[in-house]
Amino acid sequence: MTTDQRPADRPDAGPRNAPVFVFQVISGAALLVLLGLHMVAQHFIVPTGLRFYEDVIAWLRNPVMIAVEVAFLVFVTYHALAGVRAILFDFGFSERTERRITNILWVVGIVTVVYGVALFAAILNAAA
Amino acid sequence: MASTTVGRGRPATGPARRRGMLGWFDPRGRRLGGLAFILNRLTGLGLVVYLYLHLMILSLLVQGPNAWDDFVDIALSPPFLALDVFLLTGMLIHGLNGIRVGLVGLGLVASRQKALFIAAMVIAAFVALVGALRIFGGE
Repeated sequence: MTTDQRPADRPDAGPRNAPVFVFQVISGAALLVLLGLHMVAQHFIVPTGLRFYEDVIAWLRNPVMIAVEVAFLVFVTYHALAGVRAILFDFGFSERTERRITNILWVVGIVTVVYGVALFAAILNAAA
Repeated sequence: MASTTVGRGRPATGPARRRGMLGWFDPRGRRLGGLAFILNRLTGLGLVVYLYLHLMILSLLVQGPNAWDDFVDIALSPPFLALDVFLLTGMLIHGLNGIRVGLVGLGLVASRQKALFIAAMVIAAFVALVGALRIFGGE
């Protein structure tokens, strides 16, 4: 593949960013599956959609569904923040600043996933 | 590398670097690859905002059935349903265009990226239309 054939939106300014791009593709592929499950299960399996409080709680009490939702949260958070990183890197910051941005986004991502998992637990506790 | 263009329409240095983020909205000199680039990033940013909004809304569940059901009543109003259609359209554009970016970025079907983008947008428009009919039809 020549340089000219790369898509305009590939976020790889150099070899340093290649693993991030590959993981973003992997997480994107996983999201296609998980988002499909998330949408179909929540909007088509339950006759009215997952709309009412009792339906949502019953949904979250299913361990398989919790596992799917947590996996979805992990992949979507990685994919989203890797995308934000790619956009920020387009502004041409110094390498040092780019490293700081990467570290900050890792912290934001971990906090997001921890918050999401804690939220699931809090919802189930509140409903118990 | 420095003097080549990446894909079709985006200079190697990136429009954001050249003209700031407002450069994304500048149609001058852009071709289809540039449009795909802008669409992917704008829909991506919108979906990031939605991700955090979604987590905030889900936190209403902790407050119990009344808080949740009150929100659902609001969410079923036409303006919110229109936002659902907007969200669905953004997800479709980003997801389908993302498949193209992934395939081409990994060195697959690079010569077909223009056709892939057009096909992705046609599918996105069709599914968004069906989704809009279902959302507003209440089925």
